[in-house]
Amino acid sequence: MADLKDAPFKTVQVEALVVMKIVRHCSNSFPTTATGSIVGMDRDGVLEVTNTFPFPTVDVASVEGSHQNDASALAAAAPRAKANIVYQNEMIRHLKEVNVDANNVGWYTSATMGNFVNSSFIENQYHYQRENDRTIALVHDVSRSSQGALSLRAFKLTQNFMTSFKEGKFTTESLQKSKLTFKDILVEFPINIHNSHLLTSFLHQLPVAATTEEVTMPTSLADLERNPVKMPLHMSTDILELSIDPFLEKTCDLLLDSIESHYTELNNHQYYQRQLAREQTKITAWQTKRKAENAGRVAAKQTPLPEDEWQRIFKLPQEPSRLEGMLNARQVEQYSKQIDGFTANVSAKMFAVRGNLLPE
Amino acid sequence: MALATESFLHLSRPLAPTMNFHHSMAPLSVAIQPSAVLSILDHATRRDIPTASSRVIGALVGSRSEDGSEVTVSSSFAIPHTENEDQVEVDVEYQKNMLSLHLRAHPREVLLGWYTTSHELNSFSALIQNFFASPETGTFPHPAVHLTVSADPQADVRARAYISSPVAVNPERASESCLFIQVPHRILYNEAERSALDLIASARDAESRSTPVVGDVAALTRTLEQTLDLLERASDYVGQVIDEEAEPNNALGQLLMSALSLAPKVEPAVIDADFNNHIQDVLMVSYLANSIRTQIDLSQRLSTAILNTEGDAKIDTKDGDKEGGGGGRGDRGERGGRGRRGGRGGGRGGQNREPREPREPRENGD
Repeated sequence: MADLKDAPFKTVQVEALVVMKIVRHCSNSFPTTATGSIVGMDRDGVLEVTNTFPFPTVDVASVEGSHQNDASALAAAAPRAKANIVYQNEMIRHLKEVNVDANNVGWYTSATMGNFVNSSFIENQYHYQRENDRTIALVHDVSRSSQGALSLRAFKLTQNFMTSFKEGKFTTESLQKSKLTFKDILVEFPINIHNSHLLTSFLHQLPVAATTEEVTMPTSLADLERNPVKMPLHMSTDILELSIDPFLEKTCDLLLDSIESHYTELNNHQYYQRQLAREQTKITAWQTKRKAENAGRVAAKQTPLPEDEWQRIFKLPQEPSRLEGMLNARQVEQYSKQIDGFTANVSAKMFAVRGNLLPE
Repeated sequence: MALATESFLHLSRPLAPTMNFHHSMAPLSVAIQPSAVLSILDHATRRDIPTASSRVIGALVGSRSEDGSEVTVSSSFAIPHTENEDQVEVDVEYQKNMLSLHLRAHPREVLLGWYTTSHELNSFSALIQNFFASPETGTFPHPAVHLTVSADPQADVRARAYISSPVAVNPERASESCLFIQVPHRILYNEAERSALDLIASARDAESRSTPVVGDVAALTRTLEQTLDLLERASDYVGQVIDEEAEPNNALGQLLMSALSLAPKVEPAVIDADFNNHIQDVLMVSYLANSIRTQIDLSQRLSTAILNTEGDAKIDTKDGDKEGGGGGRGDRGERGGRGRRGGRGGGRGGQNREPREPREPRENGD
């Protein structure tokens, strides 16, 4: 991961309200991508995210011949859509009137199994970061959160990448010059969840404060089932779930997709290289021919023809952008880290199960 | 999934004087999603300090069931208002704009009512309630829901939900009076919000009121610790009963017995086989994923590194020629059946041969 030095802040602090709003919006629109804007302010190296609102959804039914993917694509492109910029400014203006921090600090998006590294994501973040360096992208992974632990991550593009992206050049040469690798595209920031005093007080009463007086014992099993004891809020035990296959299957699928696109990228490059070689052969042939011709002309005391005319006659093919390949590499890295984390979890759980079922 | 209030007495409310609309007499119940509550509490902390009134108001937005007997408050937004001894002023224009902005992002939601952050119901409450229940600007013919959440720093945070009926001693005072009837409410959260709530709740005992978002393993550790703690408590209780320190209870005994009997009875050999199979699968996938990552990393490096030596000589046609030839060869090798060893020798086309490696795990992975 790239260093945090060039960033104007070190950590991201997210209000509980923002977490709840994002989770709700993302899970409601799952599996369609959901995007929205976040507001807040940065203070002493901490970027505080204090409120959020979703971007307007595009009514898919009204668009002729569209389907699920279109809705996702539209939603993914929403943060940089013209209409939404207007919406966002309008919304922030209104929020300002009720004392909400009126600075845009970025945007959020939903993801499935960490599949968020794509050009749309980069373009959105670039769009925000170009205007204001202190903006981040929050990524909420709906599928991974359903496994137990909430998955919310904050990202920002590195300065290095921003410069390259601005120039729009991702040729081999420019990458060599800028020493940019796929690991330097995004910086991740640690996130802290922050609660207000009122919320802390509220949470302590949820669902009921623990009773201090004597509990009357139930008289029968039916009694217990009918009136379940009200417990203070406990962590969910979903994370202890032992189902492994769906997760692995899904991640494998996604990995295969990534390999597929990696393969396509490589093919593109090979095509380019063949094309380049072919052109260059032609140029050499032309140059040799011209040289011979000039030699003849010199011998015949004529003025030699210019030898650099080939630049006009032949056109070298454009090198395809390396950006997609880099993003893909970053995505694969993401997947494999995810699998690592999952494996660590699962093996722990499985050894626990075995230990339980096989008494020594 | 819901934290409901206790058993509730449903009073049928006096009907509004309308003839055209059919009123459902079914008891109304209000479900509130946590994000709405959090939003209200956030608004309460962001109130203007110098104003006379300590309460803030805002609108509730959400969905209503078809017969109108159940409403779900899914979000809320704040409305600026000023209030003093003898008059109250609500920014109606703001409410209208904000509602339309909100509905653009949530097209399926409707205005449900309003909230305030004190339990006091006074004539201003009635005035605002009538505004929110009126046909032009409010929820008519459905009753407007009024939610009060006390945000007094000294007291517990409690919520109450009301609906209202018009009632007045004379027509002049009708606009500023109404009968509030309390209705049951519950806080409703779904599976997806659970993980977020867990995390938020884990910050409640910390002095800084904040908690880091942890990775999978840390979350597992946390859950395991908690589960162990619960098991410990259960076994403590059983131990106390055995030592005759605590009163034995048949129901609890039965419950524990039925929980214990859920443990499956399987042959150790079967478990061992299953366990090994599964763990090998998992580790295999992990290994393959990592080797794919390495391959792609390598490929990325090679794609910039190899050309580095040749980048300067690009215009030199002879070198470029060779390079292109290498590319062509590598490509042919690939099409020729993904042989694992096919054309591993040769120096130049190294980066072109690269993709074959990631394809291996893919064959196994299928």
